[in-house]
Amino acid sequence: MNDDRDHPELRSRSYPIREDMSYQLKVWRFERVGWYVLVFVVVLGLVGLFSRGLISSRDVRSDDGKIRLEYEMFHRNGSTNSMKVSVDATPDTAVELELAGQLLEGFSIETLQPEPIRSRSSSQGIKLWLQTDLNGRATLYITLRGDGVGLFRSQIASPGTNGVKLEQFIFP
Amino acid sequence: MDSVLRAGAMYLALMVLFKIAGRRSLAELTTFDFILLLMIGEATQQALLGDDFSLTNSIIVIVTLVAIDVGLSLLKQRSGWFSRLIDGEPTIIVENGNLLRERVRHARLSEADVMEAARSSQGIENIKEIKFAILERNGKISIIAKED
Repeated sequence: MNDDRDHPELRSRSYPIREDMSYQLKVWRFERVGWYVLVFVVVLGLVGLFSRGLISSRDVRSDDGKIRLEYEMFHRNGSTNSMKVSVDATPDTAVELELAGQLLEGFSIETLQPEPIRSRSSSQGIKLWLQTDLNGRATLYITLRGDGVGLFRSQIASPGTNGVKLEQFIFP
Repeated sequence: MDSVLRAGAMYLALMVLFKIAGRRSLAELTTFDFILLLMIGEATQQALLGDDFSLTNSIIVIVTLVAIDVGLSLLKQRSGWFSRLIDGEPTIIVENGNLLRERVRHARLSEADVMEAARSSQGIENIKEIKFAILERNGKISIIAKED
């Protein structure tokens, strides 16, 4: 940029208008840096920082492997994303699943499929009972709509298993 | 409350974006620029109104936008520094028939853009006939012809 300032074409003129080329050079530099920032934002969008992409989609299991959770780490306020919870338990019985923490503060549950056999509020969130199939697997599909803004920490647990902790961020 | 914040945030974001885009971006509207502008408007609309399509909400949003706009113009009137920050300054790009190539390059223009403005405003055929070409704050190029 120092070279630019010394360039005879880039010296300030005073006729027919009074110029301040050092300011104008700053404006051009801002435009150039701004362009890099825009490209960076586009790349971040592509890799999924603003929801639905490589760094947003998570697939985690509890330590004992009994609960598997597929969810989006980044959400946007007002948009919906799905979450899938699978639990392994005794075949053909009702298995209890607890959604606890800030999940219900940051999100509203739009759909819950299949419908649980029973549901109840608990001190930390809600408890659901799901019917397992003959292989002992129960799966719950949840559609979440982000209502809040910020970071929300929750956990999904089932008695007799280690729960899964999840952190989700909702963009404005 | 959130309607006002939404409108304010959107105004600020668009202002910064169009500062980055530069003054030329939408000064000479081509057909595609016009479509681009419509698309930007469409994308903005959702963010401004959210899921509240009530009359009250739209009036609050419009009032906020107009208030910010008038407020900024008042500020620009009072402070030369602020006016320069928001509107920028004019820049000379042709001086006595010579194209100032470094400036044109920085402003992301070409000689063809200058000649287009010269032809349409003054009927000038050759760059040597131009005394001054000035890139104005609104992105238009004004041409002052040589007197002979």
